[in-house]
Amino acid sequence: MLSINGLATAYGKIEALKGVSLQAGAGQVTCLLGPNGAGKSTLMLTIAGILKPKAGSIRFENEELVGKSCADIVARGLALVPENRLVFPALTVRENLMAGAYRRRDRAAIRDDIDKMFVRFPRLKERIEQSAGTLSGGEQQMLAVARALMSRPRLLLMDEPSVGLAPLVVAEIFEIIRQLHGEGVSIFLVEQNAHMALKVAHHFYLMEQGLVTFSGNPGEMSGDDVIQRAYLGKRRAA
Amino acid sequence: MNYNNLLDLSQSLIDGVLFGSIYALIGIGFTLIFGVMNKINLSYAAASVAAAYVSLLIVQTAPPALVYVAAALVGGVLGALVYLICFHLLPLNKPLATLMSTVGMLLLIDEAIVHITAGMPQNYPAMFVGANIDIGPLSLRSDLLFVFGFGCLVMIGLTLLLKRTRLGLATRAVSQQPVAAQLCGMSITGTNMSTFVIAGFLGGTAGAMAGAAIGVLSPLLTLPLTVKGLVVTVIGGLGSIPGAIIAGLVVGGAENLFQYLRGVSERDIYVMLLLFAFLVFRPGGLFPPPAGRD
Repeated sequence: MLSINGLATAYGKIEALKGVSLQAGAGQVTCLLGPNGAGKSTLMLTIAGILKPKAGSIRFENEELVGKSCADIVARGLALVPENRLVFPALTVRENLMAGAYRRRDRAAIRDDIDKMFVRFPRLKERIEQSAGTLSGGEQQMLAVARALMSRPRLLLMDEPSVGLAPLVVAEIFEIIRQLHGEGVSIFLVEQNAHMALKVAHHFYLMEQGLVTFSGNPGEMSGDDVIQRAYLGKRRAA
Repeated sequence: MNYNNLLDLSQSLIDGVLFGSIYALIGIGFTLIFGVMNKINLSYAAASVAAAYVSLLIVQTAPPALVYVAAALVGGVLGALVYLICFHLLPLNKPLATLMSTVGMLLLIDEAIVHITAGMPQNYPAMFVGANIDIGPLSLRSDLLFVFGFGCLVMIGLTLLLKRTRLGLATRAVSQQPVAAQLCGMSITGTNMSTFVIAGFLGGTAGAMAGAAIGVLSPLLTLPLTVKGLVVTVIGGLGSIPGAIIAGLVVGGAENLFQYLRGVSERDIYVMLLLFAFLVFRPGGLFPPPAGRD
């Protein structure tokens, strides 16, 4: 579904991605692990079109995304729940959801979808006319997910959705990931919480210093020191 | 202070608050652009006056109301031009670049006005001149009342645009969280451009209303409007539209009050003192921007 090849992105002279290649399969939950500074968020922002890569290709459903605008990428069915949520603090919950549907013109269906979000996230319904900045961290994360879903994505990218949240809320987030997967949405997840990720993901990648250094299914991970490296960033002994 | 003095004082205050709607419009323009781009467009008030000048082209053939509408439309076009020339072509991550380009544009517009009109003030049409409304011993100048009313209509229109339309949603979203706005499929460039056009409408209206209230357009208008607009923006709180409206009326009223009490030559000193007081005691303005903006 998503196929990335030799992707390189730099901030000025600092290379954050040094030729990343990986795949996220249709109908699967793919998880990217890695220590801080490995380039995971850079990868997400590059896929979503916020950052422009220096080299490489990003193919989504056999279409090249490199060179396309964010708006085009969202319209093609790929949405990102960004790191730190980035809700619009002074917009109401409803307006945040409307913003997520910005590329759509079907007003009646948008209204239906907002109602569906409130079934999925009942807490947001109670806060519908409240400005998003007044929500708790967990509620803001739910809102960020709901906002991304408003574009009706077929592939949902999530950048560390559990970071900074209480364990109960983290469990809720993973429950939603499981539900979405059950409804046919493919998911590509960046996660520090490897133990939670192990319960939902079908395939894992490990990224260290701008390169993919491990690829395997959950079974292949147990015998490896992948999880330790995901946290500590220890390089594999040569 | 006797009864007559008090009457005169109240009368100056009322006239000043009515005229303050023009400052409010200019302040909103500054604040809108700052809100969306985090940048100051110093050429804004000059472009607003220029828009009023251009509307003089149809003054012989059209009624005053149409002249004002023309000024607003020209303001929008000038807004787009200023964006393209002073912002779009420049590196936006260098704060001084756009500041200097808009100073340059301010001077260019000023010079163009002086050159084309030979520096002579031009008569500008007003509406409802002389037909005053008396409330007891005080009287409301109908022409100023019209300026005030027209300004209020434009502000209501802007509020509806921001709150009720797709464009307004994008404008607010981009100003609050540009990365997330792009992830939602909003175009930063498109939103910036339309913000400049909308601010230009407001500016053109303000320029026309200034001409209507004073009776003439003069190149001497641009600098005071720029300064008062910035003062209003800071007192109102950078990025706050309600703040700009209230601050505009306050500055207009205070200015006339100072003029009545201390004379026209000292007037602006006290306006600056008011600004100074705000900078010291309430630097965020009446409605400070929310902290923790990314």
